[in-house]
Amino acid sequence: MFTKILIANRGEIALRIIRACREMGIKTVAVYSEADVNSTHVKLADEAVCIGEAQSAKSYLNIPAIISAAEITDVEAIHPGYGFLAEDAHFAEICESCNIKFIGPSPESMRLMGNKLAAKNTVKRVGLPVVPGSDKIIKTKEEALQIAKRLRYPVIIKAAAGGGGRGMRICHNDVRLISALLTAQREAEAAFGNSDVYIEKYIEQPRHIEIQILGDSRGHIIHLGERDCTIQRRHQKLIEESPSPAVNEKLRKKMGELAVKAAKSVHYANAGTIEFLLDKNGDFYFMEMNTRIQVEHPVTEMVTGLDLIKEQINIATGKKLAIKQENVRLNGWAIEARIYAEDPDNDFMPSPGKIIEYKAPGGRGVRIDTDVHAGYEISPYYDSMIGKLITYGKSRREVLDIMRRALDEFTIGPIKTTIPFLKNIFNNPLFIKGDISTDFISRLDEEKEL
Amino acid sequence: MNIKEIKEMINLMNENNLSELEVEKEGFKIRLKKGYEGSIEKVVERVAPKIPPITPGPQVSGGEAAASVASKTIETKSPMVGTFYRAPSSDAPPFVEVGDEINVGQVVCIIEAMKLMNEIKSDVKGKVAAILVENADPVEFGQTLFLIEPL
Repeated sequence: MFTKILIANRGEIALRIIRACREMGIKTVAVYSEADVNSTHVKLADEAVCIGEAQSAKSYLNIPAIISAAEITDVEAIHPGYGFLAEDAHFAEICESCNIKFIGPSPESMRLMGNKLAAKNTVKRVGLPVVPGSDKIIKTKEEALQIAKRLRYPVIIKAAAGGGGRGMRICHNDVRLISALLTAQREAEAAFGNSDVYIEKYIEQPRHIEIQILGDSRGHIIHLGERDCTIQRRHQKLIEESPSPAVNEKLRKKMGELAVKAAKSVHYANAGTIEFLLDKNGDFYFMEMNTRIQVEHPVTEMVTGLDLIKEQINIATGKKLAIKQENVRLNGWAIEARIYAEDPDNDFMPSPGKIIEYKAPGGRGVRIDTDVHAGYEISPYYDSMIGKLITYGKSRREVLDIMRRALDEFTIGPIKTTIPFLKNIFNNPLFIKGDISTDFISRLDEEKEL
Repeated sequence: MNIKEIKEMINLMNENNLSELEVEKEGFKIRLKKGYEGSIEKVVERVAPKIPPITPGPQVSGGEAAASVASKTIETKSPMVGTFYRAPSSDAPPFVEVGDEINVGQVVCIIEAMKLMNEIKSDVKGKVAAILVENADPVEFGQTLFLIEPL
């Protein structure tokens, strides 16, 4: 087992990883930017090294600084968390060449799955249904028009190197397609340094169903069921639940087996997630694979009883996966609501600043993953997600009751948060019924304006 | 310039017994310098202490009393994470000592990061009032290394 691990991240995930390490008797090293000098994760780690200025590029994305910190503190492994360098194959390679174990998949499998278009082609070869689309990069408007004719509108333009909703454009006709192609390429270049885009059929009103997989270094891969992440705003997830109200045991088995097949096709090791789109007819299509631990991992933890961060660390030491597929059960229900420091009444404008009042909910069936507290200063340099509220119980209905109760107890101020917005969603009859698709939020917005 | 190219440069140096190699390419310049041949004190043997955040005042270390330092002292802070070395190699004299007068651009120490030696230059003209870290200490970004009385 590792003696010491460096956590190359910040905020709630850094805290999450430190907690797992402490329970395993592993020493921890936190790295932090000047803006995070008073952070919870810095205080709780055994050692802490300041690596640079507040801007992510100078700190949390600063590979030489992080590797140096790893060397001077003599760690054996680095956990990259999610975001930042978690899916940076180059960083994983550098760790390898410095004899530091990167807690995640190999650089090769990261590269294969990191390119969205290459990933699609890879999994298609092992029999996964994929969203119909161009099988290569679209460069000119002639190519775009041709493919749109074949797929039939609506279509979506997507960045090959991207994610998080950037470089994405939905098009319903030729005119829109032509202008959208150029803007999508520009946006992709700005966001990912790569203007490559491809085009897919736009599946209308889909559900977003993702399968959690775990693989050890010897090729054993299992799946831990699904998470339903349909509730999103501008392609950013807001609410995730497991199991999905739209997935029965038969579908779960089918999707799970295909997810494992996809992971095996790239010799995947450690934690990963395969994302699918499920349409109204019960047909599902591979969308992409995330080669990291995800924000919403707690939801799977609550229904499977596993600690996914500990599993990641165990896998990284070379241990064989102890869990067998036939022993994986989803018990009860869990749901996660992400809390953002954003003002829902002001177009979700980020709301940094000092938290004066902080009263977190508690009681049976409530889990909070956050590193904020009263007196915490939310800086403007990083992602505005400040925590995750997870509720779990015997049934979806119970879990929703607990969530509503917990949201009522949750007080954060004077900064603005998305808690009031979440309350609306959890009181919405369609959501309560489970009758939703990915345009749920935008439809809510439209209704509000009426 | 990528890791592969840098590795090739290092191999080149080893194969030809070079102690220094400088390459400039497409506006990028890198200088590799060998020092501490086999005698680098491996920092790993020391348990690095919990390095506190940027301290406002000087820490007394190694006999360098900082009690009477003037209030307009300038702090030379580390621009990177790494290992601090006072001299260019283990058998060379230190770059600076307490009491030395230094100029802008003068090399005051080396910080080793990822096996590369980075020369740290002073951006002020003054007199070295205190040296707050010891040879081979690990240092973090923003850590105060020297106190300089400006001249």
